[in-house]
Amino acid sequence: MASAESSIDLKNATKTYRGGVKALRGVDIRVHPGEIYGLLGPNGAGKSTLVKMMMTVIRPSKVEGTVLGQPVGHKPTLSRVGYLPEHHRFPAWLTGRQAVEFSGAMSKMPRRARKQSTEKLLDVVRMRDWAHKRLGTYSKGMQQRIGLAASLVHDPDLVLLDEPTDGVDPVGRREIRDVLVSMREAGKSVLVNSHILSELELVCDRVGIMVQGVVSMQGTIQELTKASQRYEIKVRGDVAAWEDNDSMKFESIEDGRTLVTLMSTDPELLQPIIDRLRADGHMIERIEAKRESLEDLFMRAVHDPETGEVLDPGAARKKPAAPPIQPPRGDA
Amino acid sequence: MIQLIALFHAAYRELNARKLFWISLIISGLLVGAFAIVGLNEKGLTILWWEFQIPGFNSTILPPSVFYKQMFTALGVGFWLSWLATILALVSTSSIIPDMVSGGSIDIMLSKPISRTRLFLIRYVTALLFVTIQVSVFTVASFMVIGFRGGVWEPWVLIAIPLVVVFFSYLYCVCALVGVLTRSTIASLLITVLFWLLIFGVGSAEGITLLGKTSSQMALEYAQEDFEVAFEQGDPTMMSPAETQLAEAQSNNETWVTAHTWFYWAKVTLPKTDETIGLLERFLRQYAGMESFGGPDDNETRRVFGGGGTRINVRELGDRMQEVIDARSIWWVIGTSLLFEVFVLSIACWLFSRRDF
Repeated sequence: MASAESSIDLKNATKTYRGGVKALRGVDIRVHPGEIYGLLGPNGAGKSTLVKMMMTVIRPSKVEGTVLGQPVGHKPTLSRVGYLPEHHRFPAWLTGRQAVEFSGAMSKMPRRARKQSTEKLLDVVRMRDWAHKRLGTYSKGMQQRIGLAASLVHDPDLVLLDEPTDGVDPVGRREIRDVLVSMREAGKSVLVNSHILSELELVCDRVGIMVQGVVSMQGTIQELTKASQRYEIKVRGDVAAWEDNDSMKFESIEDGRTLVTLMSTDPELLQPIIDRLRADGHMIERIEAKRESLEDLFMRAVHDPETGEVLDPGAARKKPAAPPIQPPRGDA
Repeated sequence: MIQLIALFHAAYRELNARKLFWISLIISGLLVGAFAIVGLNEKGLTILWWEFQIPGFNSTILPPSVFYKQMFTALGVGFWLSWLATILALVSTSSIIPDMVSGGSIDIMLSKPISRTRLFLIRYVTALLFVTIQVSVFTVASFMVIGFRGGVWEPWVLIAIPLVVVFFSYLYCVCALVGVLTRSTIASLLITVLFWLLIFGVGSAEGITLLGKTSSQMALEYAQEDFEVAFEQGDPTMMSPAETQLAEAQSNNETWVTAHTWFYWAKVTLPKTDETIGLLERFLRQYAGMESFGGPDDNETRRVFGGGGTRINVRELGDRMQEVIDARSIWWVIGTSLLFEVFVLSIACWLFSRRDF
């Protein structure tokens, strides 16, 4: 996909802090229009640094590519970008409504438009009844809802959300997910940075996993879990391994049953196996198509493939403990 | 423009939320009220309906218009605005920059389409707005009191507004720089107060050395006159002590000149807080006919610090020092101070623009 068509198209994003801490070590990332992209990674992997770099809060050591077609650091472009920082803090003396309106004004929205948009978004985040109260009186979840409204008030083409569901109750989380989905339907791009993998799995079109300052995996969940996609067949009785099929595994499980695994999700390959098992007189109890969950994927990414140990948290001072895992498809 | 209005609107809300802003305004109101109830008639001082007869202090000697202007200059500006109100203003505004650069807040501001320099300068001006409102309310109310009670409508009184704001800005630029560097309100406030003390110390030292230099110069002139008289008379019994006295006076003067030169140049590089506030009195004297209190008939001679033991005419010493001070142009007082402020603000802006948050 051409660079101009991507909402975010960064190459070799590098950030080295004073003292030699390498927060980003050449990140390549691409987010398409009308896509929800989930950025995950352990603490200190560089996720927030990457987002802050795009929002000009942090100056890059080196970066190529564009955000909404403009180089990183191009201030006027930020009027088309919404941003919800992690642990954001609006002045406590503002009311919820004033905070959202202030955000719109700082994005250069005309008065009438920002007032209309503010009222609409206060309804969306269900904060209308509290909008006249000062932020200092809000709970964490309420502040997060106002923060989300403030990041969307100027109808941005791209939204970067850093832990948007932090402190939000399950109902609120679902509402935030619905907002993200409606943005996707409106053709906007969303980059969500979150630790809550199950939520990302529900809404993200693509995910990237950052470990020690690099994106070690990137793609759709389908693509990333391709290697783990399989059929599991639970069979009553003991089944001896078939010598003529390398793509299968046979494992004895509880109560004298056998778990037969086919390392493919192609149904055509499954049919002769079912036929053979039945021909051999085995009773098939269950057939399931399986793949790794996002959590499995995440855990795989944060483990050293050579030693099997969990990689150190935080950014790397020198070289990473292990080479980054190559994505299964070179999409970025 | 939308952003500028939004930031000033937010600043207004911020000021409104700060209790010290209202406390300062109330104290200002009380002070102006106190000015208004004090009066001067032909018998002496009046407070409300009470009358206090003070010999030599009544409206026949000191016109009420001058009395009110003096009160405004000495107490209103010299004491309240340039000391107590400034301390309150520093306490109130010292958190403006550290609050902006604190985590969570700065992310929101920097992610907007506004340059860092512009953002920083607008926040800086916000703090000055606090002082401008305070000073304006006090000065305009004092202007009314001088008009109604003193019977003279003196627009030069209003010059106190820019002068006090400029004076505050000298201190606040340091507060802003420390705020960017440390992100700490306490550190900003403490270092600003220390800086203010430094300015005060250097200013006082310059004043003392100027006194020493001027009086030693006068002593030198007296010694030269004595020597010339002795020389003309050709009396060797007078020549020798006169020569010794002249040599001592020269040496003494050189010492004071050297000391003063050091402190003078130190003062040149720093903001001139006292002189800036002193400009108000100078303007009122020059353009509004306000004479200084005291000393016009004081023609006695005293041994003065710096005079090397010689008896110095105090009146002449005062006049000479006033001449030196008045010879310092507005450019010297405000211009060099503003240069300092621009220098400090440039460093603060540069740091703010380059820093990762």
